[in-house]
Amino acid sequence: MSVLRIEDLCTHYFLGEDQVQAVDNVTFDIAESEIFGLAGESGCGKTTAAYSIMRILPENGAIVNGRIFLDDEDVVVKTEEEMRQLRWRKVSIVFQYAMNAFNPVLRIGNQIVEVMLEKQSIDKEEATKKAKELFDEVGLEPERIRDYPHEFSGGMRQRAIIAQALAAEPRLIIADEPVTALDVIVQNKILGLLKSLQKKYQLAVLLITHDLSVVAENSDRVGIMYAGNLVEVGTTVNVFKESLHPYTYKLIGAFPSVKGPKRRLEFIPGTPPDLIRPPSGCRFHPRCPWAQDICNLEVPEYREYEKNHWVACHFAGEINFEVEP
Amino acid sequence: MSEKKAVGTRQYIATRIVQTIVVWFGIITLNFFIFRIMPGDPRGTLIAEHMPPEVVQAIALRFGLDQPIAIQFVLYIVNLFRGDLGESFSHYGQPVIETIFAFRFWNTVILMGTSILIALIVAIIMGVIAASRRDKVIDVGSTTVFLVTYSMPVFWLGLMILYYFGFILRVIPLAGTITRGIVHVNIFHYIADYLWHMTGPLVVLTLSFIGGFYLIMRDSVLDVFTQDYILAARAKGLKERAILYGHAMRNAMLPMVSVIAVNMPFLISGATITETVFSWSGLGLLTYNSDVANDWPVLQGIFLFLATVAVLSNFVADILYLYLDPRIRY
Repeated sequence: MSVLRIEDLCTHYFLGEDQVQAVDNVTFDIAESEIFGLAGESGCGKTTAAYSIMRILPENGAIVNGRIFLDDEDVVVKTEEEMRQLRWRKVSIVFQYAMNAFNPVLRIGNQIVEVMLEKQSIDKEEATKKAKELFDEVGLEPERIRDYPHEFSGGMRQRAIIAQALAAEPRLIIADEPVTALDVIVQNKILGLLKSLQKKYQLAVLLITHDLSVVAENSDRVGIMYAGNLVEVGTTVNVFKESLHPYTYKLIGAFPSVKGPKRRLEFIPGTPPDLIRPPSGCRFHPRCPWAQDICNLEVPEYREYEKNHWVACHFAGEINFEVEP
Repeated sequence: MSEKKAVGTRQYIATRIVQTIVVWFGIITLNFFIFRIMPGDPRGTLIAEHMPPEVVQAIALRFGLDQPIAIQFVLYIVNLFRGDLGESFSHYGQPVIETIFAFRFWNTVILMGTSILIALIVAIIMGVIAASRRDKVIDVGSTTVFLVTYSMPVFWLGLMILYYFGFILRVIPLAGTITRGIVHVNIFHYIADYLWHMTGPLVVLTLSFIGGFYLIMRDSVLDVFTQDYILAARAKGLKERAILYGHAMRNAMLPMVSVIAVNMPFLISGATITETVFSWSGLGLLTYNSDVANDWPVLQGIFLFLATVAVLSNFVADILYLYLDPRIRY
């Protein structure tokens, strides 16, 4: 059974007369104790998709279509109060900016205890004890739950954020760029911690990042997003070694690899499209070297090209990526 | 680590105390000389033209006005530390301390304290509500109303209230703090009479204060709402009340401490205009009357007292921040 299942999700932002189609027809699922990596460049809708799951979109954002199932419960149709009760209990989030995700004038421990008291039927003493255990688990000194956020370093704060994410024993953790603000050594430690906790508690993790190396090293399956669309989903090996979508291929080509022969880094000409008026047909077609007439005219169907390998491209499997026309 | 912090904090407090004392001395010096630089001779009010020279001399002698300014200044400082602020020129022979503190001080503190307190409570609550319902009817409505009351000239509002409610409808008294010539049956009767007299000035002052406080509070809450930790609190599925009062309000209140500190001298000086309009015998009215009468000692006393309150309240606000905002360490 999947912990999270998203079907045809469309989330738009309303700007006066205009609608920004930030997430458009996104479908994927995450199984129990699976790490699903969601990658794509900045502004492609990764975070909007995550906020849609928790329904914490800004006031001008709304889910206009689609369904989101958490353990077979559709969160899209839930009332605000039902949704509030579900948050953190079923799904918690590790924010992109750990620096600011804690209230600066409250003790970190109290902020973790606060959510435990809200979500679980325990008293304050027990919650404090549990918060200390969580601190120990994420590699922080338990006594430091009495510290204020500014007394922690970036890495420590990220650990505290992870401890907080575990506070109400959720089934799914959304990690939104969890290590972007950290240096590579701390990044590695935090990702290691996240992975070990994921194994221990059999958590499902939605790992959102623009860093393909983070995705490649840590995910079981990967989804690649471009301009609000999910263009390719598959196992990490499939997506990275046998890319079906031109964007995936180009994106991976734009990343330096430590292994293998040295080669020139590729880049994708052009810029991501304006999502108020996205390109017709396939949203990638203006930047795709292999685009044909049909790419401009018809939206490619998101289909299962081979087992567990989904793609939205008219010419999936037909293109020889080595040769550009 | 925490020990080091405590030492830093103690040092900071010590520095601030020294600063406060230095500033205070600067103020009393300025306060003394400013009256001597100003045009107008206080003897003009004390001494009539036809008085014989001996009397003029005697009066100057009595108030020390015959001494050189430097000596006067030394005398002033020495007497100040003896708790002697001199004698009022216009309330003949009455010590300034008595003129200020006997009853006028209390009249002002009660009136201003009550109106500032009510204004603060209303402004904070309405500010939080308006910010959390931004652009909704309640936000636009309260912002409009408070902007209007904020911009209204207090003397005009005071006169209108006095005219309609005092003169036409006769539901509030026209002047004073208690009804003249009436013998109060007991303390409650006295209090009721006093509060009845306070209604007019209280309403005017409260209305004039709310606007400023409200706008700062609303703005502050709106600013806090854009912070990441508020999004985090929402994601944690906390109750709306917990987010609003536990996370947003506490942070939004921080700038209010400064606002209150800055308004403290107001609490003491009273609103000269409002007190004059309603003949409320407080420090505001006293300032006005003393100014007209060239009563240097009383004005000097009021200014000194005001400056002291201003310096002290700023000092207290700075120390309070140490405890309210854990990020502030010295």
